[in-house]
Amino acid sequence: MRVSLNWLKDYVDFNISVEELVEKLNLSGTAVESVQYPGKDLENIVVGQIKKIEPHPNADKLVVCQVNVDTEELTIVCGAKNMKEGDKVPVALIGAILPNGMEIKKTKLRGVESRGMMCSAIELNLGEDASGLMILESELTVGDKLGRVLNLEDVVLELEITPNRPDCLGMIGIAREVAIVTGGKLKKPAIEIKEVAELAKDFASVEIMDADLCPRYVARIIKDVKIGPSPQWFQQRLKAVGLRPINNVVDITNYVMWETSQPLHAFDYEKLKDGKIIVRRAGNGETILTLDDVERQLDDSILVITDPSGPVALAGVMGGTTSEVSENTTTILLESAHFKPANIMRTSRGLGLISESSLRFERGIDPNGTVFAADRAAQLMAELAGGKVLKGIIDVYPKKIMPRTLKLRANRVNEILGTDLPVGEMDKILESLGFDVSKAENDTQLDILVPTFRPDLEREIDLIEEIARVYGYNRIQSTLPESSGKQGGLSLSQQVEKRIKSSFIASGFWETINYSFVAPNFYEKIRLDKKHPLATCISLKNPLSEEQSVLRTTLIPGLLDVVKRNVNRDIYNISVFEMGKVFRPALKKELPDEPLMVAGAATGSWGEDQWFGKRQSIDFFDAKGVIENLLATLGIEDWFLQRALYPTFHPGKCAELFINNKVAGVFGEIHPEVNTVYGFPSKVVVFELFVSELVSCAELLAHFEGIPRYPGISLDISLIVDEKISNEQIAKVIRTTEGKLLKEVRLFDLYTGKNIPTGKKSLAYSLTYRASDRTLTDEEAMKVQKQIIAVLEKNLGAEIRVS
Amino acid sequence: MSILDKLEKINKEGQKEIFDASSLEELESARVSFLGKKGKLTAVLKSLGDLSPNERPAVGKKANEVRQFIESVISKRRKELESEALGRKLEEEVVDITLPGKRSPVGKRHLITQIINEITDIFIGLGYRVAKGPEVETEYYNFDALNTPADHPARSLMDTLYTQKDGVLLRTHTSPVQVRVMEKTLPPVYIIAPGRAYRRDVPDPTHSPMFHQVEGLAVDKNITFGDLKGTLEVFAKQMFGADRKVRLRPHFFPFTEPSAEVDVSCIMCDGKGCRVCSGVGWLEILGAGMVDPNVLSGVGYDPEEVSGFAFGMGVERIAMLKYRVNDIRLFYENDLRFLEQF
Ligand SMILES: [Zn+2]
Repeated sequence: MRVSLNWLKDYVDFNISVEELVEKLNLSGTAVESVQYPGKDLENIVVGQIKKIEPHPNADKLVVCQVNVDTEELTIVCGAKNMKEGDKVPVALIGAILPNGMEIKKTKLRGVESRGMMCSAIELNLGEDASGLMILESELTVGDKLGRVLNLEDVVLELEITPNRPDCLGMIGIAREVAIVTGGKLKKPAIEIKEVAELAKDFASVEIMDADLCPRYVARIIKDVKIGPSPQWFQQRLKAVGLRPINNVVDITNYVMWETSQPLHAFDYEKLKDGKIIVRRAGNGETILTLDDVERQLDDSILVITDPSGPVALAGVMGGTTSEVSENTTTILLESAHFKPANIMRTSRGLGLISESSLRFERGIDPNGTVFAADRAAQLMAELAGGKVLKGIIDVYPKKIMPRTLKLRANRVNEILGTDLPVGEMDKILESLGFDVSKAENDTQLDILVPTFRPDLEREIDLIEEIARVYGYNRIQSTLPESSGKQGGLSLSQQVEKRIKSSFIASGFWETINYSFVAPNFYEKIRLDKKHPLATCISLKNPLSEEQSVLRTTLIPGLLDVVKRNVNRDIYNISVFEMGKVFRPALKKELPDEPLMVAGAATGSWGEDQWFGKRQSIDFFDAKGVIENLLATLGIEDWFLQRALYPTFHPGKCAELFINNKVAGVFGEIHPEVNTVYGFPSKVVVFELFVSELVSCAELLAHFEGIPRYPGISLDISLIVDEKISNEQIAKVIRTTEGKLLKEVRLFDLYTGKNIPTGKKSLAYSLTYRASDRTLTDEEAMKVQKQIIAVLEKNLGAEIRVS
Repeated sequence: MSILDKLEKINKEGQKEIFDASSLEELESARVSFLGKKGKLTAVLKSLGDLSPNERPAVGKKANEVRQFIESVISKRRKELESEALGRKLEEEVVDITLPGKRSPVGKRHLITQIINEITDIFIGLGYRVAKGPEVETEYYNFDALNTPADHPARSLMDTLYTQKDGVLLRTHTSPVQVRVMEKTLPPVYIIAPGRAYRRDVPDPTHSPMFHQVEGLAVDKNITFGDLKGTLEVFAKQMFGADRKVRLRPHFFPFTEPSAEVDVSCIMCDGKGCRVCSGVGWLEILGAGMVDPNVLSGVGYDPEEVSGFAFGMGVERIAMLKYRVNDIRLFYENDLRFLEQF
């Protein structure tokens, strides 16, 4: 809502600076979005009088003028023809900057020095006329600033009006707020209409057929209007608030709407059949050509204003062309009505047609302000368009909407706000808002009659808010809740979630956040079949784009996109993870399952090569190491891996993680075909784990077992076995042969190739033996070691190498 | 030469040789030549048996003195030589300390997570717990239960992302968590709910269809608007600095009343006015208000018995203000060069 302060001063006197006013409005709930200073464009433009016009010595189309601007007489070269000596014109002095940005400088035109510029209306953004100089009224004083004499110096506030305040969509509503915050007095315009003897009701009639959608319809008839442009000052006001002047009658309806927030419509009375207005739902199949020249298809959800021949306006939204006011119009039927907000919103949204009128009706304007607005517009039509106002007002108002009475408990106000306001102060505030207040029961309760221009005030709490905002939020004492039952902290699962992130970060992974929505072909890119469970996803009804039209069922595509984006920017060493929800349709449930996942992707190496050595490239075992770190961090011991086949992964480099015998996730190197789809330059490893499984098995409380008191003995075993035998098989044999003294088995070498027969591999383990109650002897350790060797030879056909 | 003179000569020769030894090897050979099995002093000691009994004690005493003396000189010289040798070794081992260090790879939390953790820690300190709720929500929890009128524009297909299922949408704020928590818990309730929210905003430098919010809710006996103010002031000072001022401006939200928009004094210019705050000296950081009685009674609380306040803030906005990030889309691009900066 744009508000011109020059105009606003018609309704309220205030004597504070613009800055103070802005501050006060902001702090009372009318947010000021911007402050503009029109007329600032006209700095250095003054009224000048042409003293002499002489031909230009070197150019037929130019003249040389002597122009008096009071302080001096300027020689100005000009190309216009419409002026004569003695005319007063706007003169842009040297240094002036025109609205189009052009700066006026001293210049020579065809050999004659010119010191300034005489301007046309269009050059000053004061009109459309570009045909010649703007000739000013002769009474103006030479040398005066044009902005001031034309009343253009103004301050325009752009206000944010919250949806609960339809009354502030009019200048009077704003003036009421200004009066409250400045202590000024609200001055509503006085209505004086000299009605002629003819009766309006003899000219026109109004019938409301659908009173549920149109509770009230007020009409006035004004005849003998002369359609023409509105006076300058009037146009200026409209322009200041962003309205385009059209003609005096239409301008008046707009002006009064801006003033009162009540939208009005002027019909050309002669074009209404039988002078008869019928307000009704449209029939299916009816159409109307609206003022924006669009043919609208109507249906029975839409309220229309009709005459006996059909629709003449879309109620509350826009008029129709058939009854439009034209330059030949002489008699006006002026509409000032009240429509049901929800219906206007529906019509406006449905047709994609939003007007200043619909914006106001859909918020709910004052049903009891219709007559005032109609009278005000009639008054202006008499004053500015020479109209004669017929006697009487046609007012169809089947069911009167009455002001609401609300009760306010004084102690409740203080309980909610934490204040200690006396009831008198509350009373004063409510009366300043224009409410009738009466005290009841020994001062502890107020009865408030809420005027119908405040439809937002329905309950006690609404009044408490009014008191709070007028009293001033910032005057209310700050306190903290005095609760006994408060206990802050993170839940166990939130602590585990935090720890999971810490573990990945410590392993060198960067946390990322990716969109929850992905492209519908996400599953194809990671080699999943359409029938794969992860391919079944939730799609959006109204996505912003195809690329973001379904919800993710796995975090992996998002992370692969991150890898790709970085690779495209020449970053090749990448290790990223994300913890976030995925969305999986759940049968028979209203909402999908939203398991929390944690996933990561890594490629390249752990940093760039360095002076002390090359970095190894990331492979399957880096992913495994990261997960082992995580499991150790979470104190999870009961886990194992199983070779797994997932379409997204390399079939030989993929493992499923089981915790407590339940699948907790998968990791491995991505399939070379996925690599090709994304165009990655080197192999990429990924993992994705269920956070819930990690949470349910995590042991955040460590078990302290003491530090070993006696030294251990480490012995090495080197062996050659068949290539197919896994490390796990060997380690298992070693561990199960002797379960008391053997404390640790560590693989420290793995070798195939030279000196090892084909189909075989060489492994070396370091075994640590320790007794908890004594220092172990070499003999004891050797004895166990020999047993182990024997079993390895027997069960796995291992060939033990003696080094 | 008497045997005593001989011992004295050995003594002098020995001292010289030991002092002249310039390496531990030379020192060792000096030691062997005097104290070894075939050493000069050893020879004298061996010959003691040949002496007359009255000569023996004096010579024996002298010989022992000489041996002790030489041993002590050797040990002293050894220490000197060892220390020199160590000095030389250390000198050889000098490194170029300006060579790059051997760093192990380490990652970081996303800036959004860092901010959420910071906010969470502040409210945990104030006695709050952390609550979560679904991101795919019903229209009921997202709008109806929050007192949002059926025809409210925020519900439109233009503003809210809906799933194909009727009445199911991507939550447009974290506020539904309030309702879900209140439905399951009796007062007092002190929670914050950080999480993702979604709106149908075309991405541009200040809009994103997905963003993060932290919602806060306190419901208890005698909760006042003053409590809301005090809580937000504590938060703002801890989050943005002890000198921050806080102001509340009346506003309108369907689910709180009275409602406020909350500003902190600009963190860049301290309230004097600058480009970041568009010259006004204040930055809007959150929306807040007293929980509307309709919301309370909707979850079965008695608004006459308990009252509450709620607030909600945009995490990206706070991150952008605090670190002057000028494009919200950077948060979801996850360019490592962006992530590394926080
Ligand atoms: Zn600033």
